[in-house]
Amino acid sequence: MAPPRTYRCEAIILSYSPFGEADLLVTMFTRDQGKVRAVGKGARRSTSRLVGHLEPLTVVRMSMAHGRSIDIISQAEVVESFASLKEDLTAITKGIYLAELVDGFGAEASANPELFQLMIDTLRAVQADPASDLPLRAFEFHLLQVSGLRPELYHCVECRQELEPDAHRFSPNVGGTLCLECAPDDAHLRPLSLRALKVLRLFDRSSIAEACKLSVDDSLAEELKSLLLTTVGYWLGKEIRSNSFLERLHKESLPEVYI
Amino acid sequence: MTQENLPGAAPSLARLVQELNRLPGIGPKSAQRLAYFIIRLPDEEAYALADAVTSVKQNIVYCEECQNLTDASPCPVCSDPRRDRSMLCVVEEPLDVLAMERTRSYRGLYHVLHGVISPINGIGPDQLKLKELFARLSHPELTELVVATNPTLEGEATAMYIRRHQGRDDLRVTHLARGLPVGGSLEYSDETTLTRAFQGRQEI
Repeated sequence: MAPPRTYRCEAIILSYSPFGEADLLVTMFTRDQGKVRAVGKGARRSTSRLVGHLEPLTVVRMSMAHGRSIDIISQAEVVESFASLKEDLTAITKGIYLAELVDGFGAEASANPELFQLMIDTLRAVQADPASDLPLRAFEFHLLQVSGLRPELYHCVECRQELEPDAHRFSPNVGGTLCLECAPDDAHLRPLSLRALKVLRLFDRSSIAEACKLSVDDSLAEELKSLLLTTVGYWLGKEIRSNSFLERLHKESLPEVYI
Repeated sequence: MTQENLPGAAPSLARLVQELNRLPGIGPKSAQRLAYFIIRLPDEEAYALADAVTSVKQNIVYCEECQNLTDASPCPVCSDPRRDRSMLCVVEEPLDVLAMERTRSYRGLYHVLHGVISPINGIGPDQLKLKELFARLSHPELTELVVATNPTLEGEATAMYIRRHQGRDDLRVTHLARGLPVGGSLEYSDETTLTRAFQGRQEI
């Protein structure tokens, strides 16, 4: 029996680009099929039934039809629009940053419902507190986790000894934390403070919402950002483009210092 | 595509196919069809096409005021003394100016950004004509800035960035109304559009 021509799915819209005369080529992350690219026919016309339902950072319920080379979106209905997130420039940029990472780590035709739920939970956390960077840090850690790349935090990855409560070192290249005795020749090796290790362990056993209740000072926030960004960038293997605009907004929001 | 990919074709034909293949949306087969169509054109039509391409590259410049594409700077809109200089409408692309002009309901000036802030594509404020926009805002005659970027996520982000950085307390900053399109339907509208349409309801 031939497979059905249509199917339904729930998806988060990651991005789109113009396609043909009035169509959109939409990249989305679905709960059951992983990353999917599909065409919204006529979706750029203001009177299209799809218009407004395919904006990035929107959770959508869709009806799709299998096409010869690419699937076609036949219907779309918004499930969660994150309307208040989209009224804040920093929150939008953080949302786009999440979308870029899910696009980079998500695979086509490979379901990852944990990653789907992770993105929704993080968008909710960003919407609740657009100024906090903790949702992004917790997301980065959980992204590694649900992608099978969770860094080791409890034992030295070289000698397998249990880690003492002390400052250690970390390298994405060897898969996590190293004790001070082990010194592999590794260009990615970096110091890891005890405080940062504790936060990473907390991320490991908490949900996004719980992790966002944490309070961290500026220096710890910087260490976590640098460590997690480096690790995520290492596995992604390319520049995270939306991060440069996010950094720019971050610098602009800092109070000016007069010396 | 090179001549190796088009065995048996004359070098000049292969070159034309190669150049047409660079155009957006034109694949190798379409490029070949277009090339053979051009060959079969009467001489004057083919030369007119070549002349139009040469002429547009030689003559089109950015207007020093609005950054729209024009044959002479300042462009006809910016140099028209009848235009209302108290209003400035910011649009994403030159085609948006044509769309606005077709309405015949706006008589102010324009500013073309040539894109929107698109973090996922690595396009930030420095890649757009935003510096030129902010330089124009100090003009004392200007009282209202209409941000007419598209009502998309990136268009809205660009509008927010402009509002945050425009730097004048006495400038009225507006954006175009959000709501239902003519010929649209309530049933298929998304919740954000319907909410905005309801907020912007008008007496009849």
